[in-house]
Amino acid sequence: VAASEMFYKLLIIAFLAVSLYGTPSDGQKKKETLLSEKVSQMMEWTSKRAVIRLNGEKFRRLIRAPPRNYSVIIMFTALQPQRQCGVCKQADEEFQILANSWRYSSAFTNRIFFGMVDFDEGSDVFQMLNMNSAPTFINFPAKGKPKPADTYELQVRGFAAEQLARWVADRTDVHIRVIRPPNYAGPLMLGLLLAFIGSLAYLRRNNLEFLFNKNVWAFSALSFVLIMTSGQMWNHIRGPPYAHKNPNTGQVSYIHGSSQAQFVAETHIVLLFNAAVTLGMVLLHEAATSDLDIGKRKIMCVAGIGLVVLFFSWLLSIFRAKYHGYPYSFLE
Amino acid sequence: ASVSGFLSLLSFTILFLAWLAGFSSRLFAVIRFESIIHEFDPWFNYRSTHHLSTNGFYEFLNWFDERAWYPLGRIVGGTVYPGLMVTAGLIHYILNLLHVTVHIRDVCVFLAPVFSGLTAVSTFLLTRELWNQGAGLLAACFIAIVPGYISRSVAGSFDNEGIAIFALQFTYYLWVKSVKTGSVFWTIGCCLSYFYMVSAWGGYVFIINLIPLHVFVLLLMQRFSRRLYIAYSTFYIVGLVLSMQIPFVGFQPIRTSEHMAAAGVFALLQAYAFLQYLKDRLTRQEFQTLFFLGVSLAAGVVFLTLTKPSLPPLLRYAKIHIPIIASVSEHQPTTWVSFFFDLHILVCTFPAGLWFCIKNINDERVFVALYAISAVYFAGVMVRLMLTLTPVVCMLSAIAFSSVFEHYLGDDMKRENPIKQHPFYPVKNSSVYSKLIVTMLMLMLLMMFAVHCTWVTSNAYSSPSVVLASYNHDGSRNILDDFREAYYWLRQNTDEHARVMSWWDYGYQIAGMANRTTLVDNNTWNNSHIALVGKAMSSNESAAYEIMKSLDVDYVLIIFGGVIGYSGDDINKFLWMVRIAEGEHPKDIRESDYFTPQGEFRVDKAGSPTLLNCLMYKMSYYRFGEMQLDFRTPPGFDRTRNAEIGNKDIRLKHLEEAFTSEHWLVRIYRVKKQENRQALDHKLRNIAAKQKYTSKKVLPSRFH
Repeated sequence: VAASEMFYKLLIIAFLAVSLYGTPSDGQKKKETLLSEKVSQMMEWTSKRAVIRLNGEKFRRLIRAPPRNYSVIIMFTALQPQRQCGVCKQADEEFQILANSWRYSSAFTNRIFFGMVDFDEGSDVFQMLNMNSAPTFINFPAKGKPKPADTYELQVRGFAAEQLARWVADRTDVHIRVIRPPNYAGPLMLGLLLAFIGSLAYLRRNNLEFLFNKNVWAFSALSFVLIMTSGQMWNHIRGPPYAHKNPNTGQVSYIHGSSQAQFVAETHIVLLFNAAVTLGMVLLHEAATSDLDIGKRKIMCVAGIGLVVLFFSWLLSIFRAKYHGYPYSFLE
Repeated sequence: ASVSGFLSLLSFTILFLAWLAGFSSRLFAVIRFESIIHEFDPWFNYRSTHHLSTNGFYEFLNWFDERAWYPLGRIVGGTVYPGLMVTAGLIHYILNLLHVTVHIRDVCVFLAPVFSGLTAVSTFLLTRELWNQGAGLLAACFIAIVPGYISRSVAGSFDNEGIAIFALQFTYYLWVKSVKTGSVFWTIGCCLSYFYMVSAWGGYVFIINLIPLHVFVLLLMQRFSRRLYIAYSTFYIVGLVLSMQIPFVGFQPIRTSEHMAAAGVFALLQAYAFLQYLKDRLTRQEFQTLFFLGVSLAAGVVFLTLTKPSLPPLLRYAKIHIPIIASVSEHQPTTWVSFFFDLHILVCTFPAGLWFCIKNINDERVFVALYAISAVYFAGVMVRLMLTLTPVVCMLSAIAFSSVFEHYLGDDMKRENPIKQHPFYPVKNSSVYSKLIVTMLMLMLLMMFAVHCTWVTSNAYSSPSVVLASYNHDGSRNILDDFREAYYWLRQNTDEHARVMSWWDYGYQIAGMANRTTLVDNNTWNNSHIALVGKAMSSNESAAYEIMKSLDVDYVLIIFGGVIGYSGDDINKFLWMVRIAEGEHPKDIRESDYFTPQGEFRVDKAGSPTLLNCLMYKMSYYRFGEMQLDFRTPPGFDRTRNAEIGNKDIRLKHLEEAFTSEHWLVRIYRVKKQENRQALDHKLRNIAAKQKYTSKKVLPSRFH
């Protein structure tokens, strides 16, 4: 609000100047037309894309050069695939969400714009600002030069659109409600799955035996249970990395060292081990009850013993590695 | 007859031993420390039980506790599940009636271990209904010692879950029994047990959703029967009426979405039974028209029920990042390590039990399969709900082990004849060696399980957390009794109506042990009040003083672990206070102010100035800069965070140190009263010296 008031005040002063002196100074008029030109230029671009792509020339003219009554939030980034900046892509997505939320919100005004400078299009800008890391978010305020607080603390606050919006509100007093486009992937997948099952049932409508097949049901129940007990829900909520690669030695560790956290790879291993022990128990039971001949049953029995013993001892040793000070082991 | 007599004697002995083993493995804390109430929530339960036993039941129901949530107070009678208090109070009353004079505290301390025995018995009964006697006995032994259940039921952990798991298992047993028999007698028993569960724990919602789910799935599987109809209709009506008798539950069962599934299934069952009735009376053509009408109606009802699903709230609960919920560690999702830690071998074998159950399905095994699947989902979402998973894991694992033992442990010579006639188990002459190996292996696994359970119970779940212990290099033990020292100091040395401000974790303990008024406590119902306390803790001293003045605070209590290296202290919880305060007062408190520019939370010189000058920091480290703990470290070295503190010269203006416990674990500050007249912050008015008039008269001569 303060900035726009300021703008109106300026206008009024300019008007007064015009009416008092009759002939406006040439510089003043030029400045104003330049400003309105710039604003309309920015508006036009914003209406095309919520985030304006800037190169060195545009950056200097629209952001660096003085007459300006709008703030610009600029993301400095390196999106070209050869730069291999994974974070940039994620940050870009969040930034786009923020810019679009602002672009299509009812409170949209020309007080603030969103722009981006890609390293490969405006490396001179990077040099000019003495910048050597991407992504970086900087607010160029309507008045004066960016202060230290106008550089977003990416390391501290992360690049979630909500956090960015709070920072923007902090710096420019423009409150943006972040509206994420609804994620249709989940329902779509579910719909496809249902359609698939439905069509399968329709194709086999004369033979719906499989619905009464206990093995199918038992197998799906077991899969669900195994998925849950191996901590996939934790993965779903916390989103850990698949495995950790030590940047110095290049060694990949699949097991997280602490008992408070886990990698995705680790949970897959545990799922496998749990399933193997379960299978071992079932085999032991089958070996004693099935109608097969004695030789096959013997193999089943031995396999059952092997599965239970081996996989349980491995499971225990992974647990020991994670839970420091656990005293017991099996077959070690 | 003698065989069956021998069998029942054996079962009785095994159950008794399981009870005994379960009871004694829960006594670690009592033997190491003393008969003491643990942790946080149990202190509130103990305090209200004490109130109940001294003032009677009606006084308890009408109890308005003005010592909590100052200045709001709390209506205790209407905001608790009274089952726990009433159970303990009743036992105390009966024992005193018999002239066994025990203190109410001892009743409270030993209540959970005693109930664990009852849980074992009801698990035995339920498993026997599902599978057979042998599996039941194994299940009883498992549940007696499994850490997932012990974690909530050690001696001294006087909490709702301790008795609720018994009620849960017993309700399920009676439900299975009533579905099997279709008798109203068993169903009414089930309702009474359900009533007890509702009075004891909020987890009753699990029952009121699982039983309808069971009925619904049975309908889908075309296993409708009159037994089912009688059991569920009776259960729903009587259970509903009974559950509404608990003041805290009130009209929730007919209002909230968690209970709607039960109502929907009730309607569906009625419709289904009605259709069955019509089918017997009408011709095929008439029936088909009616059937389609009915099905579409029923589908509508079910759809309405399912559009308000009862399960997603839990998931949302875990996913939405509400600081006050996220700050509680037991609301986190569960890692595989926690599953293994709490269940050990059972976690890998219970899927096998589930497999056997589904392969040999019948009405009650449908129930146990649904129980397993829903409980495992909830346990995955929230660590705390491991508790509801544990019983079903014990039962299914027992089924798995029992079906293996059945074939490898039996004596061939004796069993050969009866088994030959049995169609399912044709006798197999598997070699003696394989039998021996498998049996030894299974016994070995079970032994490891028992050892693991004892180790976990002893090391992880038996700390009262009110009294701490530290071990020296030679194995000798130091007891750190700072908490009680400080609480008793408050009790003895402060005014009876003094108001103590602390973080909410310690509210119940202050109320229970120090008997003083608190501002916030573990019943975190009022987020804005908590945020205000968080704001006071994270503001600078003068801003905090304004808040404390407005809340009439007399004392401030904080926990500081820097001297002994206790990691659960207030500085480590501090960021949560900031976050919760920020949620309500975003203009005044900002989390980023408490971090260094690099995004670290540090208490040393590099820490952010806001942190180094906030009230919590000042109170924690007041006079700590003068203290040198040993010769290798500089003065003011914090052992918890391994850092030399950044602000050693701390001066307090509005507070003064009132008490610091032996190991500095608890520090209490007195809030100074305002001075009579506020000191002016500008200079006193200076009256300009006027020109002095001196008489020019010559003084009378007599003065000369």
